Amino acid sequence: MDVRIIHFYPDLMNLYGSRANVLALKRYLEHLDCDVTVEPVLPGGGTDISKGDFFYMGAGTERAARAAMEDFARYAGQLKAAAQDNAAMLFAGTAMDLIGKTVQEADGSSYEGLGLASFTTEHGKRRIVGDVYGHTDLYPEAVVGFMNKCGAAAGVETPLLTALDLGFGNEKERGPEGFHWKNVFASQLTGPLLVKNPKLLETVAAAIYARRGKPLPVDRPLDRWAEKAYTVTEEQLRLRAHSK
Amino acid sequence: MRTFLAIAVCKLGHFVGKLVGKGSSMPGKFALKICPDILRRVKLPAHIVAVTGSNGKTSTVEMIAAVLRADGKTVVYNEEGSNQIEGVATLVLTHATLGGTVNADVLLIESDERYAAHTFRFFHPTEFVITNLYRDQLTRNGHPEWVYDSILPALHPSAELILNADDPLSSCFAQGHDHVKWFGLDRCSVSTDAPAGVYHDGTYCPLCHAPMEYDYVHYNHIGAYRCTKCGHRKPAADYAVTAVDLEDASVTVDGSVRIALAFRSIYNIYNILAAYAACRECGVSQETAASVLSNYLLKNGRMQTFRLGAHHGTLLTSKHENSIAYDTNLRYIAASEQDCAVLVIVDAVSRKYFTSETSWLWDIDFDQLRAPHVKRVVLAGRYCNDLAERFSYTELENWSVQPDIAAAASELKNNGDEELFVVTCFSDRDKILSRVEKEA
Repeated sequence: MDVRIIHFYPDLMNLYGSRANVLALKRYLEHLDCDVTVEPVLPGGGTDISKGDFFYMGAGTERAARAAMEDFARYAGQLKAAAQDNAAMLFAGTAMDLIGKTVQEADGSSYEGLGLASFTTEHGKRRIVGDVYGHTDLYPEAVVGFMNKCGAAAGVETPLLTALDLGFGNEKERGPEGFHWKNVFASQLTGPLLVKNPKLLETVAAAIYARRGKPLPVDRPLDRWAEKAYTVTEEQLRLRAHSK
Repeated sequence: MRTFLAIAVCKLGHFVGKLVGKGSSMPGKFALKICPDILRRVKLPAHIVAVTGSNGKTSTVEMIAAVLRADGKTVVYNEEGSNQIEGVATLVLTHATLGGTVNADVLLIESDERYAAHTFRFFHPTEFVITNLYRDQLTRNGHPEWVYDSILPALHPSAELILNADDPLSSCFAQGHDHVKWFGLDRCSVSTDAPAGVYHDGTYCPLCHAPMEYDYVHYNHIGAYRCTKCGHRKPAADYAVTAVDLEDASVTVDGSVRIALAFRSIYNIYNILAAYAACRECGVSQETAASVLSNYLLKNGRMQTFRLGAHHGTLLTSKHENSIAYDTNLRYIAASEQDCAVLVIVDAVSRKYFTSETSWLWDIDFDQLRAPHVKRVVLAGRYCNDLAERFSYTELENWSVQPDIAAAASELKNNGDEELFVVTCFSDRDKILSRVEKEA
């Protein structure tokens, strides 16, 4: 199966090791015998949304995200249509802000997002940083990660993580986190969340297959280092969550 | 009366703290409780030199102190490294008379970048050195632009800023500031043509976010940048390294002054240059600055040589969560050209706070170790699996995993005699140093 990954702004939006999500997905799909192409999209460049199987944008600084949005806005209509048509997408860190309706910055100014989702984001002067241990309805294993943001997303009705035992969610401590609708995944969890959560990687890959009308092959690759790393971090964060 | 009391309590607390070997910030904390604006009330030296930035603070401050003292100046500085307001209060008040006068020529302060604005609420530096600003401890700092915004209120309009001309982000502090001196490296033997590393947001203009072009690069995105849209560019340096001779282990400053390098790393060169610029601005002659900085051996223990079995070893302290610190040390190993083994340890991500965050491993260019003389790499510590996962995405094949640091040390001790480089952080280095024979 040919898979085309469209990676928006790999330089500008690559804080906290965000690029690793694309590397992990590419390798996973290749182990399933997919022929994977990664197409980087730069500001001022261009891409054919209709050819993409998976769309990705990582985290950037708040200023970088705003600069990215100036270019990203032109894909709004096509990306919304693709999402409606079950295309798989992942927006990590500040990229999640950009798929909402509006983003209000700490200085009071605001700008429009993609409008793919109906939530709004408000940035403040407080940095919210910390480890996250949470749960999703998509699979039984816990989700681990790290939060590094300065805002709250209001109005998310379908979160990716339904509950947190540790960390700050969309709007509050231990509240629901991220956004999930059809095959659109978004989370303020920063960095390589698909590397840190092998099960989430599998879920995203399954979404790509599903849109092609295929189930994920039964014989799937097992990344032993990623699995072991998950086991260590999951234990560390679970103990941390339960000691609080 | 409150001033007197605060100083007396601080001095007493410091004395007691020394006896019991306790921290250096507690006495200042008490003093600030008794008299919150005590730092406004004391009479400070004519020169107050502050150093902040992501990397090089401690080394730069240590070298500035050495030069100023060699020049006959009395210097008060926070050698103990407590670089937030409580530590600075301890420093200032323990060196003040009970009447509130700090009798010294220079007060020299290493300042935490996130808390500089808080520290300098009641007094401000006359010379403010900012070494650089890039990804460092993002779990605490957010990101470099966030740190930039935190430092900005600490910069008093009358302070003379001593800035790194080669760093696109920290050079922006000069915007709207009247008193600025620049230090930087000209194109030299260590320059390359394009930015290095595995991430490149630093090559986008910090002012307008358009991509920048480079005439030359010294490491990562540090070099002679030029924004294609708004014109933000490397300014002409007032203090410049004009040549680097790594074979001779020396640099030339301002075309004429030779400074020998005790350690041939690009970091060391920038730190020396920043210290040189600061000291010259404090009235030290070229000759005095150059003679003290020449072959200056840092006492802060960032580098430690040792023996382990038949191996001669070097510990290259690299802050976890600081990919550029790792990158420059990996570059040092790649340039060493002698057969070597490398031990990378990530056991406790931070010595100061709990976190399981390892995303910073993806910002490090481990492929630099792909060199014929790097014979093997051993990954150890609690987060060795995260390291292994990261390494599985490199072109390197000669790596292995040993979660237990003691076992890793023992296996290395019993095998081979090649040079050994240990790359790890303050939080983890004693876990290996306790198992080797340290050299003086």
